Amino acid sequence: MRMTPVLTRLAWRYLWRNHRRTIIMLSAIAVGSWAMIFMTALTRGMVDQMIADGISVLPGHVQVHDPEFLNDPSVANRITIPDRELAASFDGAEFRAWASRVRVPAVIMSERESRGVTLLGIDPAAEREFSFVSYDEVEGRFLESPDDNGVVIGRKLADKLDTEVGKRIVLMSQDPDNEIADRGFRVVGLFEASMPSFEESFVFIGKTTAQKMLRIGEATTEVVFLGDDYRDVDPTYELVAERVDGGLDVRRWHEIDTYLGTMLKVMDGFVLIWVVVIFLALSFGLVNTLVMAVFERVREIGLMLALGMKPSSILAQILIESMLLLATGLLIGDVLAVLTIQPLQGGIDISAVAEGMEMMGASSVLYPKLYLDDVVLANVVVLILGFLASLSPAWRASRYEPVEAITKVG
Amino acid sequence: MNKRYLLPCLLLFAQPVPACGDDCDARALVRDAIEHWRGLSSYTEMTMVIHRPDWERSMTMRAWTKGQEQSLVRVVEPRKDRGNGTLIDDNNMWTFSPKVNRVIKVPSSMMGQSWMGSDFSNKDIARADDIIDQYEHSVLSRETLDDIVVYEIESVPHEDAAVVWGREVLKIREDHVVLEHAFYDQDGELVKKLESLEIADMGGRTIAKRQRMTKAEQSGEWTEIGVNEVEYEIELKDSLFTLSNLRNPRD
Repeated sequence: MRMTPVLTRLAWRYLWRNHRRTIIMLSAIAVGSWAMIFMTALTRGMVDQMIADGISVLPGHVQVHDPEFLNDPSVANRITIPDRELAASFDGAEFRAWASRVRVPAVIMSERESRGVTLLGIDPAAEREFSFVSYDEVEGRFLESPDDNGVVIGRKLADKLDTEVGKRIVLMSQDPDNEIADRGFRVVGLFEASMPSFEESFVFIGKTTAQKMLRIGEATTEVVFLGDDYRDVDPTYELVAERVDGGLDVRRWHEIDTYLGTMLKVMDGFVLIWVVVIFLALSFGLVNTLVMAVFERVREIGLMLALGMKPSSILAQILIESMLLLATGLLIGDVLAVLTIQPLQGGIDISAVAEGMEMMGASSVLYPKLYLDDVVLANVVVLILGFLASLSPAWRASRYEPVEAITKVG
Repeated sequence: MNKRYLLPCLLLFAQPVPACGDDCDARALVRDAIEHWRGLSSYTEMTMVIHRPDWERSMTMRAWTKGQEQSLVRVVEPRKDRGNGTLIDDNNMWTFSPKVNRVIKVPSSMMGQSWMGSDFSNKDIARADDIIDQYEHSVLSRETLDDIVVYEIESVPHEDAAVVWGREVLKIREDHVVLEHAFYDQDGELVKKLESLEIADMGGRTIAKRQRMTKAEQSGEWTEIGVNEVEYEIELKDSLFTLSNLRNPRD
């Protein structure tokens, strides 16, 4: 190891002896690592958005239902504990927000159309924190109280139903005895959501109004809690689980929407695979360059060996060359990636392909998200795999027979 | 109030004086028309013609009704639809098809959909009575046509009524025959209209023999129901309006 500074100097000089080749290789590595980081940031951004959107309509990081409700979301499987008792049992626990609501499948009808929707009977004051609808941006007005007689629907749904603010629609669902429960409502507001499908599938009415319509007294179908961070909901979960009656089903969001939960996990694996795939393409260039560099100076290596340099030092020199090359390339790539992602933080409008994105649950504006973890992962993977790939040419160089090497014509 | 005074008071109110004004009057007209059409119980044989610009089909059906709540409709012709039935009991609706040999309860989500492919919705069939209580009725006009007084009644649904229409306009003759029933959307545009094309004396009553439902927005699409035979106030067993009878007819 005494030799390392000398070897490093030799390696660095050698790299710039054939600067054209080095620059080409550097740019390949730089572009490769840029692509790794940039694409990762894009997909991360997309998935984060999907999860954030998904959670925003799920709302509630931790939810309490009747054990049967998730399999059969009807009012037959409701929570009969009145709000007052719930409030008493959660007294003293610190949640960002909590609310109880009525969520049932329903049919919405106008003069010309009828559609299936998810009916949410909410207490607008309690849900302000949860809702993906920002109350102030609603055309018309949002619900004002739990016994509001109006209905707020999405703009897309209103278009489909051919209705508008001020007109009446009919909502139809089933009461606990499977009898039809229906009622007319006046549309008081239209909301817009980041995803068109939300606008089509959610309909808000007051909680008390919903309870009356469905004839369920003071019962609700779910109680929801908001924690501080959706990535870490366990503290909230434990707080809730301790206080909720054993007969009810307490779940974290990723246990309710397993698709979203899995998405989050798959993403980590995806980043690694993506990095490795790009590296495989890069490695051919890298190994080729090193092999060329070794062939080019067989006589030189022979001379060094003849002068008494140890084979291990030759090995080390080639490896150092490779590492220097990779490190420089990665550095350039990292800087490039940061520089290109920075101006795009405000979002990339991809509304041209919005429909396709919509199908997989992503919205039409992409916000790239750069995580330090991903950058470190890309760099470390490239360095380690690069080291392994350069072992073979380096090993070959160190095994030359000095006499043969010196006398080699070439 | 002393019991002794109660009787004279009741007698007083029993006079045919419109005790509650225009709305009550109009409401009574609507109720009478529906009751006249249906009777306390009835048996009808009818033919339904569904017309579309490029095809037309007709079905012959038998229908039984009892009171406000119960009715049963069964297809007789054409042969391939024979035995298809619909049972309505107190706002619930079931259908049966011998081909699949299953009784299906029509869920609320399907109430807005077409009944047997016609221009009538399941809701039109199952809940004709709603119009009496869930609306505000008023008489728009009175005119005399062929010596018979015809009332034009506007029915506006209550704020929370489970009705999508902006208003409905009925033309009812003083002998309780409905001449026209028009459905308007909330912008006041006509959406669909049920008209009586032929009026005849049948089963001891004057009724609309042929009625046609037309959708205003699709030209050339209509459904016509013609009554071939009708009997009123007949004895019907309760067992007629049961799921097992829907499945296995015993008539």
